[in-house]
Amino acid sequence: MNDFIVVYSAEFLRRIRSRPYQIGFIVGILGIYAMAKLPSLMVGGMLSAGSGVVVAGAPSLTAPAAKALAGDFKIVATKPGLAPPAIADLKGRDAAFWVTLARSKSGLDVTIYSDKAKSDGPSTIAGDLAPLNVQLGADVPAATAANLVDLKPRVVQLSTKFSNSKDATATWAVAYTLIMFLYVLILVNSQLVMSSVAEEKTSRIAELLVASISPVALLYGKVASAATLAVLQMVVWIGFAILLGIAGSGSHAAAAPSGPDIGVLLGGSLTLGLIAAFVALFVLGFLQLSLLFAGMGSLINRTEDLGSISAPLIIPVVAALLVSMAALGNPDATWVVALSFVPIFSPFVLFARIAMTDVPTLQLVLAFAVNVAAVIAISAIAGKLYRIGMLLYGRAPNLKQVWQVIRS
Amino acid sequence: MLKVDHVRKEFGKVRAVSDVSFEIPKGITFGLLGPNGAGKTTSMRMILGILVPDAGSVTWDGGAVDGSMRRRFGYLPEERGLYGKMKVADQISFFGRLHGLVEPEITRRTNAWIERLGIGAYAGRPCAELSKGNQQKVQVACASVHEPELLILDEPFSGLDPVNADMLLAILRDLQAKGTTLVLSSHQMWQLEALCDRFCIITRGENRASGSLAELRAAWATRVLRVAPGSDAVRAVLDRIPGASFVASDSGAVDYAVPANTDFRGALKTLVEADAVVRFDAIEPSLHDIYIKTIEEAA
Repeated sequence: MNDFIVVYSAEFLRRIRSRPYQIGFIVGILGIYAMAKLPSLMVGGMLSAGSGVVVAGAPSLTAPAAKALAGDFKIVATKPGLAPPAIADLKGRDAAFWVTLARSKSGLDVTIYSDKAKSDGPSTIAGDLAPLNVQLGADVPAATAANLVDLKPRVVQLSTKFSNSKDATATWAVAYTLIMFLYVLILVNSQLVMSSVAEEKTSRIAELLVASISPVALLYGKVASAATLAVLQMVVWIGFAILLGIAGSGSHAAAAPSGPDIGVLLGGSLTLGLIAAFVALFVLGFLQLSLLFAGMGSLINRTEDLGSISAPLIIPVVAALLVSMAALGNPDATWVVALSFVPIFSPFVLFARIAMTDVPTLQLVLAFAVNVAAVIAISAIAGKLYRIGMLLYGRAPNLKQVWQVIRS
Repeated sequence: MLKVDHVRKEFGKVRAVSDVSFEIPKGITFGLLGPNGAGKTTSMRMILGILVPDAGSVTWDGGAVDGSMRRRFGYLPEERGLYGKMKVADQISFFGRLHGLVEPEITRRTNAWIERLGIGAYAGRPCAELSKGNQQKVQVACASVHEPELLILDEPFSGLDPVNADMLLAILRDLQAKGTTLVLSSHQMWQLEALCDRFCIITRGENRASGSLAELRAAWATRVLRVAPGSDAVRAVLDRIPGASFVASDSGAVDYAVPANTDFRGALKTLVEADAVVRFDAIEPSLHDIYIKTIEEAA
């Protein structure tokens, strides 16, 4: 235990004083500003393009409405009646929106049902139907031209998790931001662990260290200190975002809704459950990746080789990030559910699902169990690689030799 | 006592150590000799528990080397390494802490070592900024700050200038006087001869000779007899000694290899009767001679 504490404290001090860590800290804070506007840019149009629409209501309304919407959407069906649909009705028709149309005193009464937490589809639909509203409203004396053009549809979120689309959008933005945090914190800090291992190996101090203390204490001390520093970063970053939210909720209250303001949303939508899931999945994801990085880092002889040896590990993490982004919009898709049980992918994808849908308890338990098992397995593999790799000099081992070390 | 008992270590198809055994009583200085690739470093790593022997055992005071025991050992590896960005004093303190020292003892010992090594001006500077010789001094301090029971030094003199080599020699003598058991390897035979009580020569992963210098010399079959003048009369007497053979002549003297059990007193008497002898030395083999011959015989 003493070995672990000594390594932990020394690593902690060494790294917190290092310039890369301090720069990363500041860059992270600046990045929060940048990310605040990124979601609307990324997602705008992405979800609406190619989305299917069911148009429901009286045939006299659905026919011209379908024609008006056909430019931006694929009309998958027109239905008589105004009964609200279930999620299954949308999924069964591969539709993203169910639009019901009725005549009202001021023109057209439009309700849009959707299972998507975040989409600019409703505003596009409103824009497409505005000419029809003007046409219908011309007979209504009380209506003014401005009112008719500014069609305001009612948007209903078809989800058991969110009561309205505003909540869903806010949580989507929070989840998006936290996934970005998760990615940056896990990847950057895992690479720092790898650099530290490589530095000890290439500077030849490794032999001195493993002569004094057990390699396991050395490895875990290093990983634990990196995790602490990452959590410290996380606390500061999220705290900063919440502060932005508190400040933003006052100054931006009257601003036009040009896209979600992450600061404002974080200030209001972070729940304890989401934070707990974030911390737990960060720890599991970080342990998986940092141990792998440490094991692989111990195999190199020159710091110049860091890039080439880390690339095979970075690729699945980037893939996991992309999958989790997609999962935010479709958290119950079969392939998303499946990937939430796959180590490395799971911390990101599972977090997206936890944020955006009600994940069945059994799936939650199973996914966490898989992640814990993965940490144990990776720990055993990384420990072997590390013990042998730290004393291995000369030509870098090939994949076959790495496999032999793991099997030994 | 450190007991290395028939240890063997293989790396894949390469057998680094085949069969090495020796015993080192506490408090003595032990020289581990051998050519490059003989298995010295691997043997040292097995003593320290860095590598686990495939066969045989290593014990200290009768017990297998474990984590708590290793904390009482010190090691200066052949390939030197320091944290380049860590300050000198912090580095020494860090290794003190790794070996179980606590404040204020860490600071006291760190300062003492910095003063002893004459690197006070660099105490607050990162190690990477130090010269190679000064870095090596820092490493010696890191290996010794906890006053280890057993200190293993792999080629401690390599890369040191004569002044710093003398300083290291003095430090090792101090540790010796305090009761630290020293195990060191070096290719500088004169330094080992001056420092070590016992030796073990290994080559190709096996013991070839071991013991004190006196014991190694006793096992040496010949001595060099140096006599001056190297006149014909003297050479005639030397030629008559059973088993004697001419080696060289230089500066008026002549060297003959003679059996170790030669009657030197009788030979001197005969030589004095034959000529006006001004020099008569029965030269013992040096550690260098023994080492070279042992390696040649094993080849």
